[in-house]
Amino acid sequence: MLDDIGRIRNIGISAHIDSGKTTLTERILYYTKRIFTVHEVRGKDGVGATMDFMALEKERGITISSAATYCEWRGHAINIIDTPGHVDFTIEVERALRVLDSSILVLCAVGGVQSQTISVDRQMNRYKVPRVAFINKCDRTGANPYRVVEQLRIRLNHKPVLMQIPIGLEDTFSGVVDLVSMKAIYFEGPFGGELNEEGIPAHLLEEAAKRREQMLDAASMFSDELMEAIFDNAVTEELIRQAVRRGTISRQLTPVFLGSAYKNIGVQPVLDAVTHYLPSPAEVKNSALDMDNGGKEVTLSSNPDDPLVALAFKLEVTPYGQLTYLRIYQGSIKKGDDLVNTRTKKGIKVGRLVRMNADEMEDTTEAGAGDIVALFGVECFSGDTFTDGTLNYALSSIFVPEPVISLSISPKDNRSKANLAKALNRFVREDPTFHSRVDHESGQTIISGMGELHLEIYVERMRREFMAEVETGIPEVSYREAISQRAEFDYIHKKQTGGAGQYGRVAGFIEPSDEGAYEFRNEVRGGVIPTEFIPAVDKGFQSCLNKGLLIGFPVIGLRVTVNDGAYHVVDSSDRAFLQAAIGAFKQAYKKARPIILEPIMRISVECPSEFQGNVMSSLNQRRGLIVSSAEDGIFTTVEAEVPLAEMFGYATTLRSLTQGKAEFSMEFSRYAKVPNSLEEDLKIRYKDKEKGR
Amino acid sequence: MGEFSNMSPLKVLERSAGRELGKGNLGVLIAGAGLGKTSCLIHVAFDRLLRGEKLVHVSLRDSPDKIASYYEITFNDLMKAQRKEHEEEVWNLLERNRIILAYLKESFDLERLRVNLENLIKGIDFRPATLIVDGIDFTDARREFFEGLKELAGAFEVEVWLSALSREDGTEAEQGAIPPPCCEFVDLFSVILQLISSHDGVFLRLLRDHERQSVTDTEVRLDPNTFLAIE
Repeated sequence: MLDDIGRIRNIGISAHIDSGKTTLTERILYYTKRIFTVHEVRGKDGVGATMDFMALEKERGITISSAATYCEWRGHAINIIDTPGHVDFTIEVERALRVLDSSILVLCAVGGVQSQTISVDRQMNRYKVPRVAFINKCDRTGANPYRVVEQLRIRLNHKPVLMQIPIGLEDTFSGVVDLVSMKAIYFEGPFGGELNEEGIPAHLLEEAAKRREQMLDAASMFSDELMEAIFDNAVTEELIRQAVRRGTISRQLTPVFLGSAYKNIGVQPVLDAVTHYLPSPAEVKNSALDMDNGGKEVTLSSNPDDPLVALAFKLEVTPYGQLTYLRIYQGSIKKGDDLVNTRTKKGIKVGRLVRMNADEMEDTTEAGAGDIVALFGVECFSGDTFTDGTLNYALSSIFVPEPVISLSISPKDNRSKANLAKALNRFVREDPTFHSRVDHESGQTIISGMGELHLEIYVERMRREFMAEVETGIPEVSYREAISQRAEFDYIHKKQTGGAGQYGRVAGFIEPSDEGAYEFRNEVRGGVIPTEFIPAVDKGFQSCLNKGLLIGFPVIGLRVTVNDGAYHVVDSSDRAFLQAAIGAFKQAYKKARPIILEPIMRISVECPSEFQGNVMSSLNQRRGLIVSSAEDGIFTTVEAEVPLAEMFGYATTLRSLTQGKAEFSMEFSRYAKVPNSLEEDLKIRYKDKEKGR
Repeated sequence: MGEFSNMSPLKVLERSAGRELGKGNLGVLIAGAGLGKTSCLIHVAFDRLLRGEKLVHVSLRDSPDKIASYYEITFNDLMKAQRKEHEEEVWNLLERNRIILAYLKESFDLERLRVNLENLIKGIDFRPATLIVDGIDFTDARREFFEGLKELAGAFEVEVWLSALSREDGTEAEQGAIPPPCCEFVDLFSVILQLISSHDGVFLRLLRDHERQSVTDTEVRLDPNTFLAIE
């Protein structure tokens, strides 16, 4: 365990897909001596990069799971979480950002700020994550890091400051000039492992001086000392670093580094930047909710001697059992300690405590505040809080979006049937955006998630990892139902068919709730419904929410107020009031003018400007609302809001419309009412389906 | 949303001859740096959007996200000032009638704008009545540029509102005189407004109203925070 929390860095690596973040991570692990050779992402050598450890990831060349990995650099402990670049796996990015203190934003020197970079950057803003930027692929044809810096400023509203300038570009890219030390750095030896510092090439002296002045100007805004030193001509490297560090941690400055991870150029200075400019866990304010004190927010201390508070942020099932990744916010964990899960109140004993290096692990005996470790054999869900039992704190949960798409699956044979159950059980624990349920009417298993690709990946994992061959149905949109006006109910449930009778009367009203969540208000006066039956009334209404009466989809945004009723001293029971509530819901629902809601996605399409018209038309034809179009001379980014139901197969359409030169990203925005014509279609389809049963 | 016309800075035109800017015409809002040109232009946009008209906001400096957030802030101010409810419905309607076109990194030229407007009309049947053009640098702009813009306004049957950063040349401008940079192209602008900040408050003053003479005393006082007309 590293005793000095000031020397711990928990960083994420986030970027647009294919910006080279996995290659960057691979090189970092190589230079920090965690691995002893390097591989490509789509490995010609058949091995693949170390962080993309799932077989499927290796094949597709994308990162799906965020594997935490540990390394050391110049006396600092660095925990890295490699995060997926595809929006369908956004929950992985959200989880990473919840537990990390800072991030490296990787950008492609050719593609610059791309659609996915924008959504990842928005997520980082939401979690107030300071970052340094690494402009990768400076060796590629068309590389222009200065253009990317400008895009950081204009498109992401960052205050970027170049800490280096490139020596050559494209195929002549050979190193960087460090504007702090004013030295040229070349990367030599096997895999660029040896740094060779030389004087700045003569042709770059003027440019370097100009850029250094700009950097000093920006940095001096965060340090009076540096400002004075500039006037006195007494600037030191330490003063610059302190100022840039302050600016970065306050998220008012984004230091920018350059390189080509693939060509082994510029990676070590990024590691230096992580230690110089990014915050330690002690410099980040973390808070929890004190459940013994009405959920009051309390600040955590990051002191290893205080009582433990840790978050289980990631579960993975390995061949050796379930692995639970923990971020320790306060206190410390030792092998053999007893921990308590504050959600279930169940205790666990810390058996094996490990640090992860992608899919390899190393045992450790102790870890303290700020650290990230993994435990074996702990039964819990992602998002659970662990303490030493003296505190009842809950760390605020990670934002989990609701799934927007469903797919029916059925096993092809008996062996697959048994394996499918195991697979689903595991996926649901690993990924809170992946849901699985059995439709009792059709008997089919329905899986739900955040997009077509998200579900596709899980179906493939069922086949590969669990030998579960499944047949899939057509993807279906997860519609919702909601009421649009207030409606009264007054319902008596009365049954007298021999034996004990049933009697319960409930009266009140239902109305749309602004908050979107279900809300139950008990305004019964004078004991007309005895208090002990109120929970049954609530439960009765809640039981109706899973299946609306219009098209059988869940009902959202409903507020129920019960203000009157009646009971019978002998015949009233929980069951009678539960049935009365169900009857009351049915009575009022249709009167409350229910509507069907569909998920609306925020789409961002990036294309060469000449295709702007085609792209806008294609989105418009899909009932899309064009929000904006931004050009930067070469590329145009069209942003639109489009119903998810219209987005199936869009990737193929876009490819043919733009000769494969455009790409798009999509994330859930909100639910909105479906147009009347579609509402009628959906109702007819639902009726036909019901008749068929 | 009829109440908005009482708060709209464009009330200043009503105080003159009550004429609109009109299709095919250019209008310009002049102000010093940091006085709130963009905010004021967005009120002009709301004046049009709240009548149910379609509008294109062209930005040469800020990203669409930033412009969209300006609109949202202005809209919230507006709602607060009118003590309105159901803002979600109105906001959705406004968003449907507004498209932001951003031209970053000096990628703006009239030909691109023309192509983009054609794409909007032919591709998605979005026919704007007004263009708001924010961020043109008048120092570099030539007469031909504004002539081209006026021609475009005529061809697409839109009225075009622009913002211009007033140049301080050290001399006290005579009240009512058209300040630089617009004085050079005065004949091309049908309406010229000036945003003025003084000890007495913030005012929107009408400097030119089509062919009408003597508009020098026509002005409205604006709330310095929201830029809504307060008298």
